Amino acid sequence: MEIPYTVTARKDTGLYNAKVGIWLFLASEVMLFGGLFSGYVFLRVYADFPWPERALPVVPGLINTFILIGSSVTVVFAWAALKMREWRKFQVYMSITLLCALIFLGLKGVEYSAKLNHQAVRMKDFVILEGHTHKAKMDSHGHFKAIHAGGHASLPEDDSKIHFVAAESEDSHSEHGGDDHSEGGTKYEYNQVVFKTEEVLVDLEKFYDPVIRDLMVQAKNQGCEITLVGDYSARSSVDQPVEVLAKDGDKLSLSLLKKLRHTYLEGKSNNAKIRTAQNRDGWARLRSKDDYENRPSYQIKDELELNPDFDKHIVDLTSSLTFKTSKPCSFVLSPRKVRESATKAILKDGTGLFGSMDAHASSIEMAADAIDFRFVAQRAIEKGIDPLVAIENTWLIQNNPQVAELWKKHIVHIEEKAEELKKHGYGKDGKPKRVPTDTERYRMGWQDLVNIGEGKTVKGVMSGFAGPNHKDDYAKHFPEILVPREEVNLESKFTPRWNNYYAIYFLITGLHGLHVIGGIIVLGHFLFFGKRIYVKNPEHLANRVEVGGLFWHFVDLVWIFLFPILYLM
Amino acid sequence: MADSLEHIQKTKKLYLLIGALLFIFTGVTVAVATVPWLDFGAHGFDAIDAVIGLLIASFKASLVLLIFMHLNHEKKLVYQLLGMSVVFAFVLMWLTGWAFEDPLEYGDGTKAVGTGFYNPPQLNEE
Repeated sequence: MEIPYTVTARKDTGLYNAKVGIWLFLASEVMLFGGLFSGYVFLRVYADFPWPERALPVVPGLINTFILIGSSVTVVFAWAALKMREWRKFQVYMSITLLCALIFLGLKGVEYSAKLNHQAVRMKDFVILEGHTHKAKMDSHGHFKAIHAGGHASLPEDDSKIHFVAAESEDSHSEHGGDDHSEGGTKYEYNQVVFKTEEVLVDLEKFYDPVIRDLMVQAKNQGCEITLVGDYSARSSVDQPVEVLAKDGDKLSLSLLKKLRHTYLEGKSNNAKIRTAQNRDGWARLRSKDDYENRPSYQIKDELELNPDFDKHIVDLTSSLTFKTSKPCSFVLSPRKVRESATKAILKDGTGLFGSMDAHASSIEMAADAIDFRFVAQRAIEKGIDPLVAIENTWLIQNNPQVAELWKKHIVHIEEKAEELKKHGYGKDGKPKRVPTDTERYRMGWQDLVNIGEGKTVKGVMSGFAGPNHKDDYAKHFPEILVPREEVNLESKFTPRWNNYYAIYFLITGLHGLHVIGGIIVLGHFLFFGKRIYVKNPEHLANRVEVGGLFWHFVDLVWIFLFPILYLM
Repeated sequence: MADSLEHIQKTKKLYLLIGALLFIFTGVTVAVATVPWLDFGAHGFDAIDAVIGLLIASFKASLVLLIFMHLNHEKKLVYQLLGMSVVFAFVLMWLTGWAFEDPLEYGDGTKAVGTGFYNPPQLNEE
């Protein structure tokens, strides 16, 4: 079928059809991105945490802006070349456009991966640490050993991200026997709760197969057996004899649990039926009394008498099963899926582990490239406390002399900065017009750490392209911090889970990235398969390229707003 | 489609000029945000910086729209379509604000503190 008005304009609209189509589409896109920007404003105005202002590295964003603007120029040149009937030039300009688009995506990938390979810990007193957590590895004995990148000849394969030199603390690791990096055991990120379990409590009603299966696999790998404590006997109704369904010493298995659950649920259903019948009977007798026919239930419910004969048909049921382990068995658990304390850990399906938490393996060890007290300060101001006092009393300052020392030096630096800013004059109220920002005051970023460490302002510290620079010599100024599990509130990478800023950042830039990919497909189609249309009717291809170009300009337009809003504000 | 060949040849120079302008103003945006002596208002980021940043971005956006996307000479239908969507985009902008406009009022008609978009919660700073 011939599509009408691909080359010539329709009389009533004055436009060829594709142009009406693309403008309709762009109109809807304006509203899509408008809504997202609106969401951004909303999240920012009502943020109850310090918004990560100017947190992204500017240079990659700036380069990407230049690249997109450049590609906008070349795409319009490609269209002009078609209008002039210069196929060769069209090919050149369109190729440059596509190349720009690919570079844009590549840079975006670099930025994303810097975010996704960077960890942050929020402590219970709202101190935020950013940096790289170490990796721990479980050996065949179920022991953990932190792997320090600098201290060993053989680095783990994926260790390119960890480039600090860590002092090997002999006391904390020597008790763990395993030292083999190359064989046995699984590698874990150092965000885990490790629980030495002696007793496992399974809830028959709520247990979830994958959770139990995971525990069974981990137990098997460590050579420990999980066995039932005491016989489990049950029956589904009083007509049946009490049956021992599981004996003391039976191994934990899903088929066993399912069998027991079946009987348990049947018994529960039996009990429910009996209770319903008992209640019906009671209410029927109550209603049959004189004058009770029309009175509302809530007035007479206290006079309800239940017939105790029914109770004889109720069967005894226990939903919890106790298992014990043949030896203390270290289960590695995801912090997101467990509520833990020093002596017990409750999994999401209600399965309880009793024993003791492995404090060493569960703690987070990180080379911190930023120590952020802004959240502490914000909370302190809300409560009318002096932020500096609040910071002095945080767990980190109290327990880590190195950080306390850094913080002292940082305060001196900030006072110097405040003095320096006084040269801008004073306001009418006698206060200086310019004072250090909250970020400068309460956050020790990686540049600050380097400056403090070197004892002077270091030029060229900006060498971290897409994030903190762990590769150069600067990394030696990043303090090693051991955070015990009980002080950790949230551990995350810089993903949407970390805070709303990264949620909206990944949402909008991700959607924009998808538009770039869409543009590559459409413009690439014109470049590689456009010759046929060009030979037939060059004006037709020129129009199609114009329409594709309009979309590409729109993608550029969105980025023109995204760059200052996300990177500079 | 009155784009004659000479006209296109002429506008190519304009496109280059606009591209250069966009490059320059991108640099200006970054400079305003990062260079200390170009810092307007209080030290660091504040409302004035946001307004300046958005004004520059809007100016760049209008250059792209008018020249690259040929909105300086387009048919009436396109303006109608765009006008409608711009109105809706602004409505969307304020929709989230309205969502927060809490109708809680005291008996005398005054609003509770911190219950509206134009009346955000106040931090009791020293």
